[in-house]
Amino acid sequence: MSIPNTGYDVREISRETTGSFDTRHMRINVGPQHPSTHGVLRLVVDLDGERIARIMPQIGYLHTGFEKTMENRTYQQGVTYSNRMDYLHGFGHDLAYVLSVETLMDAQVPERAQRARVILTELNRIASHLVFLGTGILDMGALTLFFYTMRERERLLDIFELVSGVRMNYGYFRVGGLSTDLPEGFESAVREFISEFPTMMEQYATMFVQNDIFVNRTKGVGVISQDLALDYCLTGPSLRASGVSLDFRKAQPYSGYESYVFDVPTSEEGDAYARFMMRFLEMEQSLAIVKQALDALEPGPIKDPDRRISLPPRHELENSMEAVIFHFKLVTEGFHPPRGEVYVATESARGELGYYLVSDGGSMPYRVKVRVPSLINLQSLEPACVGALFADMVVNIATMDPVMGDVDK
Amino acid sequence: MAIRDIFEKDFQELEAEGILFSTIKGLVAWGRSNSLWPATFGLACCAIEMMQSTNSRNDLARFGSEVFRASPRQADVMIVAGRLSKKMAPVMRRVYDQMPDPKWVISMGACASSGGMFNNYAVVQNVNSVVPVDIFVPGCPPRPEALVYGVMQLQKKVRGQVFDQEGIALPMVEGWSQ
Amino acid sequence: MSDETRLLEVVLKDLEAAGGKKSEFKGMVSVNFERKTILEAVGVVRDHGFNHLSDIFGIDYESYPGHQGPRFTVAYNLYAIAEGERLFLRVDLNETEELPTLTGFWRGANFMEREVFDMFGISFQGHPNLRKIITPEDLDGHPHRKDFPLDETATLFNEGRFLDPAAFRAGMMGRDPGLTGWAGGARKGVRSGNMSGVDASQKETE
Repeated sequence: MSIPNTGYDVREISRETTGSFDTRHMRINVGPQHPSTHGVLRLVVDLDGERIARIMPQIGYLHTGFEKTMENRTYQQGVTYSNRMDYLHGFGHDLAYVLSVETLMDAQVPERAQRARVILTELNRIASHLVFLGTGILDMGALTLFFYTMRERERLLDIFELVSGVRMNYGYFRVGGLSTDLPEGFESAVREFISEFPTMMEQYATMFVQNDIFVNRTKGVGVISQDLALDYCLTGPSLRASGVSLDFRKAQPYSGYESYVFDVPTSEEGDAYARFMMRFLEMEQSLAIVKQALDALEPGPIKDPDRRISLPPRHELENSMEAVIFHFKLVTEGFHPPRGEVYVATESARGELGYYLVSDGGSMPYRVKVRVPSLINLQSLEPACVGALFADMVVNIATMDPVMGDVDK
Repeated sequence: MAIRDIFEKDFQELEAEGILFSTIKGLVAWGRSNSLWPATFGLACCAIEMMQSTNSRNDLARFGSEVFRASPRQADVMIVAGRLSKKMAPVMRRVYDQMPDPKWVISMGACASSGGMFNNYAVVQNVNSVVPVDIFVPGCPPRPEALVYGVMQLQKKVRGQVFDQEGIALPMVEGWSQ
Repeated sequence: MSDETRLLEVVLKDLEAAGGKKSEFKGMVSVNFERKTILEAVGVVRDHGFNHLSDIFGIDYESYPGHQGPRFTVAYNLYAIAEGERLFLRVDLNETEELPTLTGFWRGANFMEREVFDMFGISFQGHPNLRKIITPEDLDGHPHRKDFPLDETATLFNEGRFLDPAAFRAGMMGRDPGLTGWAGGARKGVRSGNMSGVDASQKETE
């Protein structure tokens, strides 16, 4: 396998520094149990002194067989599985899955449900980027920012708990809308968060944006040029940091995103600093989307009224026999989409996420293929790390932001 | 106060004067239970809730888990947080073997305790089959408060204050009885 | 708008000239190709501006009701960033057939093809590092094939009865549950009049 050209020849440096010494590369193993590999990522690294000559990610240590398991569960039960893949942006996965099934079923999702979904997904994106920020800077040795971001994340988890009952791994979205209506205190809680978060972001910014240590560790580190980024099929904030403005919320809008005004930050640098700043700036944009969606939120139904998809309301069960039959069928067997294959691309916090569903007309999907962003983004560790110092590898992994549940499915 | 007083006075009087009585075993157990340092073994979603239990709202450090040691050789307890895939199981056993005695294992979450919702070819259905588990914490994921409760139960177990249904004391370290 | 449809139309015309069969479903356009012509087709599509390879994945149609033809399908999910158009290229394969690798076009196809190899057993000629990526080394077989079992372990209760998940699910869906695996014996404390022939004091298996 040829080492990709990053403009840096490891062998030349070796000859310069070691002269006539006969050196060999040292192969070391990083992980899978390691504090800075963001989960169970194993890297086999060939080192030439302190420089990386070759990096080979070994994955699969969290393989859970999601796709095959989802093929043995009904479509409605799939919602419990989807958010456990990328557990940091659970609502993003839920949304992608539910959109795919709704495309298959031609379901009409009411306005209120769409806006609520957008609010929750964007808040979850902020939560995911907060974890990225905290753990990314923790990998460089700074502990304080970790506690600050976790503090904000607790407030977001309080909002999610208010809505769905769970802090993480929600089962709130349903095919056709939401499971229950948004509760009373939701709007005030979100508005409170929106009003206070910008000050918090300033607090974070003072801690790392101009910080000498941070800048020295991330500027010019792990540069991925635009061509290389496209070559390695990178997506998400890392791609936008390399200069390609691809955001599926703008390119192929879904769930009402075309009605919100927001920017997609891009950078030409392509280094770790740019990747950090992309996610940091995205939090601001997500907040703007949440504010717009919240302002536009109107009372109304939250589920597709089609009885073949959504459970009938309880009071109907007392009067109508058909409602009871629909209820029975939906609870025991689930609904039957028409035969066919669909794919809807969404933008998760990590990149392009989509569920390719193959339906055979039965109540369980025939094939579920999840296009996970983290698995494919992980390949970009190669151009970023080869020729770099070993310590830069930690920074590069942090800025690539892989979630191993997403990688290994 | 003369040393003779220790032999002549009543022990309650002595306690009031500031002399504490215990056994070596009790003291050691007290020390161990209040300084359980976990090894980082976060696998999946439960790892995030484990991280959240160390933040300022639910502070696990006040229970003695001041630092999460990256090296298993410096850790007391291994919190298996998340689904254990069959590829990871030998790695986990190795990390467990590298921990010095006495060591404990907390199985956090439904996936570690029983395979959770993943009843398939890829997930180990009970972590107890790989390492001897002391405490099972249910939940998917368990709240940080639940994990803290689990750690507190482990503390009680370490002090030997936990009994099963028949009234027999549970072993202090599960691994020593297997 | 007319620019975008022009790109997809132009591409489709070229592809159909090269031997592809177009199909469409709910806005998604797929073009079927033969094994021998797929690499050329991908090149054509790429030259037209589909510069982002989203995914390469496989589908096993063995137990798809009413399916005729080869067992596997490998699909390529391609996206044109500038125009915002998506296209699927599909190849139908039998079990032992191989496909050429796309790593020459996109280096990011590496992990994608390794996953297809791991999960389905489809080999890619010319791939630099074709080996298992996600499943453990000692797992034989290819999990996403339909003849690979899900391997659900039965749920065992303390009193000795156990639930076989597949049978339970089949019963719920109204299909034939088969033998449900009732191990016999009554629950502790349950006095049921219908349980004639079952000894309530049977020794419980753990």
